[in-house]
Amino acid sequence: MAFYETVFIARQELSSSQVEALTEQFCTVLKDNGAKIHKTEQWGLRTLAYRIKKSRRGFYVLIESDAPAAALHEMERQMRLHEDVLRYMSIKEEELSTGPSVILDKDRDNRDDNRNDRDDNRNKNTKEAA
Amino acid sequence: MSAADVPTPKRPFFRRKKTCPFSGPKAKKIDWKDEKLLSHYISERGKMIPSRITAVSQKKQRELSQAIKRARYMALLPYVRLENDGFQKRQGRM
Repeated sequence: MAFYETVFIARQELSSSQVEALTEQFCTVLKDNGAKIHKTEQWGLRTLAYRIKKSRRGFYVLIESDAPAAALHEMERQMRLHEDVLRYMSIKEEELSTGPSVILDKDRDNRDDNRNDRDDNRNKNTKEAA
Repeated sequence: MSAADVPTPKRPFFRRKKTCPFSGPKAKKIDWKDEKLLSHYISERGKMIPSRITAVSQKKQRELSQAIKRARYMALLPYVRLENDGFQKRQGRM
């Protein structure tokens, strides 16, 4: 068994309850093959950086699990076949995460005050100006 | 420390030595899901910024590059951003 985090993007046409059902479905696949689900996260409807299968937006879902490789392969196979899944990616982790992932942490910017003297800040400013 | 790093009054354009933003006690973790953090290390076009400009250490730059590539695959970051598309909407595609 190893720790994996899987993120998949579901089509924007789905309702959020359908996305949750989809998440549940993939979790069940993992569980049936002997995996433990550590956590799932709904990142909600986000704008994609580029179009995937003609979609501009998609629902992001993260599943973190402690799973045997066979379970993960089975889930990935089903994701590949599923038409509502635009894209998925599974990454092996050294250890399980604690707390929600950074993408959900909205007020993190306010704590970001120690990087004002950094040169990469300049790049950020030029980006905003453009 | 080489002689070039020591500030002297004769050199008006002294630059403080930059340190790697991901090393040290208060360093941030590189995570491919952290789209905001990674976006500081890509150019307007969407290309990665070389470590000689951002002062990221070699080891961390490799991690960073892996993270950026993962974020690109999951459409959190663009592979390429053209001049005519804004951040959210795109015009003149026909």
